Amino acid sequence: MSALQRLKPRHAGLALLALLLSGCASFSQDGGFGVVSPAVQSRTGAETRLLRNEDDQRALGKLIADKLAQELSADDAVQIALLNNRGLQARYWELGIAEADLVQAGRLQNPGFSFKRSHGGGELEIERTFTFNLVNLITAPLAQRIEGRRFEQTKLTVAEDAIKLATETRRAYYEAVAAEQGVEYSRQIAAAADASAELAERMRKAGNWSKFDLAREQAFYAEAMAEVARAGKASTASREKLTRLMGLWGADTGFKLPQRLPELPASAAELQDVEQGALRNRLDIQAATLETQHTASSLGLNKATRFINVLELGVVRERKGEERMRGYELSLEIPLFDWGSSRVARAEAVYMQSANRLAETAVQARSEARESYLDYRSSYDVAKHYRDVVIPLRKQLSDETLLRYNGMLLSVFELLADSREQTAAVKSYIEALKDFWVAHATLEAATGTRLNNAPAAAPAPQKQAPAHDHSNHGAHQ
Amino acid sequence: MTNRRSFLTGAALIGAGMVSRAGAASLPEAPLQPAAATAVPPPPPTGRPFNPVVTLNGWSLPWRMKDNVKEFHLVAEPVVREIAPGMFANLWGYNGQTPGPTIEVVEGDRVRIFVTNKLPENTSVHWHGQILPNGMDGVSGVTQPAIPPGKTFVYEFVAKHAGTFMYHPHADEMAQMAMGMMGFWVTHPKDPALHAVDRDFVFLLSAYDIEPGSYTPKINTMLDFNLWTFNSRAFPAIDPMVVRKGDRVRIRAGNLTMTNHPIHLHGHTFEVTGTDGGWVKPAARWPEVTTDIAVGQMRAIEFIADNPGDWAFHCHKSHHTMNAMGHDVPTMIGVDHRGVAEKINKLVPGYMVMGEKGGSMGGMQMPIPENTLPMMTGTGQYGEIEMGGMFTLLKVRENQARGNYSDPGWYKHPQGSVAREWTGELPPPSTAPNAPATKAAAPLKVKRNAPHRH
Repeated sequence: MSALQRLKPRHAGLALLALLLSGCASFSQDGGFGVVSPAVQSRTGAETRLLRNEDDQRALGKLIADKLAQELSADDAVQIALLNNRGLQARYWELGIAEADLVQAGRLQNPGFSFKRSHGGGELEIERTFTFNLVNLITAPLAQRIEGRRFEQTKLTVAEDAIKLATETRRAYYEAVAAEQGVEYSRQIAAAADASAELAERMRKAGNWSKFDLAREQAFYAEAMAEVARAGKASTASREKLTRLMGLWGADTGFKLPQRLPELPASAAELQDVEQGALRNRLDIQAATLETQHTASSLGLNKATRFINVLELGVVRERKGEERMRGYELSLEIPLFDWGSSRVARAEAVYMQSANRLAETAVQARSEARESYLDYRSSYDVAKHYRDVVIPLRKQLSDETLLRYNGMLLSVFELLADSREQTAAVKSYIEALKDFWVAHATLEAATGTRLNNAPAAAPAPQKQAPAHDHSNHGAHQ
Repeated sequence: MTNRRSFLTGAALIGAGMVSRAGAASLPEAPLQPAAATAVPPPPPTGRPFNPVVTLNGWSLPWRMKDNVKEFHLVAEPVVREIAPGMFANLWGYNGQTPGPTIEVVEGDRVRIFVTNKLPENTSVHWHGQILPNGMDGVSGVTQPAIPPGKTFVYEFVAKHAGTFMYHPHADEMAQMAMGMMGFWVTHPKDPALHAVDRDFVFLLSAYDIEPGSYTPKINTMLDFNLWTFNSRAFPAIDPMVVRKGDRVRIRAGNLTMTNHPIHLHGHTFEVTGTDGGWVKPAARWPEVTTDIAVGQMRAIEFIADNPGDWAFHCHKSHHTMNAMGHDVPTMIGVDHRGVAEKINKLVPGYMVMGEKGGSMGGMQMPIPENTLPMMTGTGQYGEIEMGGMFTLLKVRENQARGNYSDPGWYKHPQGSVAREWTGELPPPSTAPNAPATKAAAPLKVKRNAPHRH
C-alpha cells in the first residue's frame, strides 16, 4: 500500500524528491541469478549460470570436457544440461530483459528542450520549451513496483524452467542407460537363439531333425535378431534425446554412459506430507502466489483511488502470433462520467481470477505430488519384486533346468530356451529399475525437493551379468 | 521343502499310527514293516507247515491262529517307499509298505483277513485268483459295500487251491494301484514236499510316474510311466536273487502295471510252471529264457541253477530297464558340437555336451534334480552297468549255504573265462562286390485324390 500513500497529494512532493535523490533503479550485480541459481541448485543438485562472455564459454567447455572424459553420471548430465542447453540460456536472457524493463521503469524520462524560431511577416518568433513528463514522475514508482514483481516472477519461472530441464535430462539419462542395457540383453537372448539355430543345423546335417524343426529354431533366431535391431533403435533415440537436452554436438556426442543403472536403494524414501512439501517448495506455486499478490495490490489501489479516479491500471496480455506479450498499462483520466465502480469490479474479477488460478495450481501441485509419490513407491515395489522374487525364481528355474538336462530329462534346446527366458526376465527387471529411477526424478520435480536416497554420483562399477552365472544376480541385489 | 529326513520322520509317524492292541482288542495285531530290505521269513510258527517264500525287498505278514482260523490284519494306509537310496515316494500300501506284505497260507486253510482302511477314500480288497464265495471277492459296489475311511471290514474264506495269487483294491483302482496298493499271496500245497523248491522268490511288477523332483506319482498317467519296478524298487536297489549252485529255484511274478513285461533270465532255461490259474501240468511246460507276463497275470517259473555266476534277470523292454528319462529328448547322435558347445557354455555355465555319441553318459557324475534316480546306474566289477528299473541279478554260487540269502558280492570268474580285448591283427576291410552307391532319399510324394477321413 506504500505506493498508494506516496501518491497522495501531500506526499507526492516527497516521493518525487525521494525519486530524484535516489536517482534511478540500477542493474543488479547478478542479473537476478542470486535467486535462480540457489533455487535450481537446491532442487536439482547442480548449479546453473548465465553464459555472458567468452570466458564463461571457455570455462563451460573445460567443464564439459572434464565430465565427458569419464563415465557420465545422472548429476553430470543434469549439470551439463543446466549450463549448456541453449534453449535454457535463451530463457535466462529473459531475466536480463525483465531487469532492463525494471530499470527503465524506474528512470524518469529525459526532460525535453525545444527551440523554435520562425519568422514571417517581419516577425521573428523564438519559442523555447522545456518539457518534463510529470505523469511519468507520478507513475514511475508504480511502474517500478510492477516491473519489480514481474522481474521476481521471471526469476521464478526461469528457475522453474531450469528445473524442468534438469528433470527431463535426468529422465532421459535413465532411459538412455536402460536402453543400452536393453541392447546388451537383447544380444544375449539372440546369442541363445543363435546357438539353438546353429545346433539345429547340425541336427539337420546329422539327419536327426526335419526341415520343420530346423525352421522353428531358425525362426526364433531371426526374431531375436529383429529384437536386437529394435533395441538398438530405441537406444539411439533415447541417447539422442539426452544429447539434445545436454546441448551437445560434434565430438562431444561420444559421451560414455555407465553399463548399468544405479542399484535399487535399500529402501524407498518415506515422505511424510508430500502435498505440504510440494506447496512449500514448488516454484510454480511461488510464481502464482506472486501474481496473486500483485493483482491484490492493484485491487487495493483501485479501491483507494476510485473517487479521485486518476489512474487505471490494467494487466496487458497480448498475443501476436507465437509471441506472448505481457505488460501493464497506465493511464490517467479525468473523473467526469465514471466514478470508478466498474473499474473496481474489474480489478476484483481479475483478482479473483488470479486467486483461482493460484488455487488451481495448488490443487494440481498437490495431485502431482501424490501421484508421483505413489508412482515412485509402486515403481520401487515392482523393481524390488523383480530383484527379490522374479529374478531369484528365474535363477532357480534355470538351475533346475540344468539339473534336468544333466539327468537327460530335458534337451539342450530347452536349456537354451530357458536361457532366453531368463535373460528376458533380467531385461524386464532393468525396465522396472529404469521406471523406478524415472519415477524418482519425477517425484523430485513434483515435490520440489531432492530425495535423500539419490543414486551415488558415480554409480559403483557393476559386474556384467551373463544369464546363468551364479554370482552375477548379486549385482542386482 | 521336503527332504529325506522329514520323509523318514513321516514314516516314523505312520508307524506310530498303527492299530494298537488296546484299541482293537478283538483284532489280530497289524504288524508294521518300515524297512525296504528283503526279510526272509522264519518257518511258520503255527498252523500247517510250509516252505516260506522270499519276497524281494519285502516281507510276509505274520498271523494268529484263532479257533483254527488263520487271522491276518491288513491296514491300508499312506506309506513312504524308498524306491532306491536317495529317492522316496509318497505311496499307498499296507502295513507300512508297498507292496503290502505277502500273505502265505496253506491249501485248505480257513483264512480271516481284517482290513482297516486308513486311506482318505473308500477301498476294498480283491483276492486275485482265489476261488471264494462271491461276497468275499472284494469288488466294491458289486459284491460288497466299499470300506469307508476309518472302518475295518473282515473277509473270510477257505484258500482252496495252492498257487500264486495277489491282492489289490477293486475300488478307485486307477488311483489306488497307481499309488502302490497291491500285495502278493501264496497258497502253499498241503504237502510241503509237493513241487517243493529250494528257493522261492516272489515279487510284483509295478510302474510309477513320479516327476523328477516330486514325491507323489502322477496317478492319471496311462502308459508313459518313468519308473519300472520290482516290488516298487528300481535297480540298483532291487536285491539280487542269491541261490546255491544246483538249487531248484522258483520265481513268481505278478504284473500290476498297464503293459506286458517279457521277463528274461540269462544263463539258464526255465519252464513256466504256474500261473494265477494254477500249476501247469509238466507235459504242457515249454522251455523258455523269456516269459511274457501280460497285464494282471502271474507267472511262476522254475529252473535248476546249475550255472554259477552273476546272471542278469530283467524285463526285456529296454526302456523298462531305465529310470526316469526325458521321453521327448531329441537324438543327438552324430551331431557335431564343435564351436556351438562353447557358445552354449557361455550362456549356460555348467553345460556339458551329452548324447552326441549315444545315450550313455560314460560315467559322468552330474547333479540331477532332487528325489530322482539317474537314468541308468549301478557299477559292476567291470564298470558301468547302465541299467535301471526292472533289472536285478541271479547270483549262483557254489558255496551259498542253504537258507542264506545274503549278497556274496561279485562273481569271481575262472581264469580266461571273461570276454577280453583282441590284440592280434585285424583283417583288412572289405566291401561286397558290385555294391550300389548309396543314394540320398528324396522326399516321398503322395498323391491324394480325396481328403482323409478318420
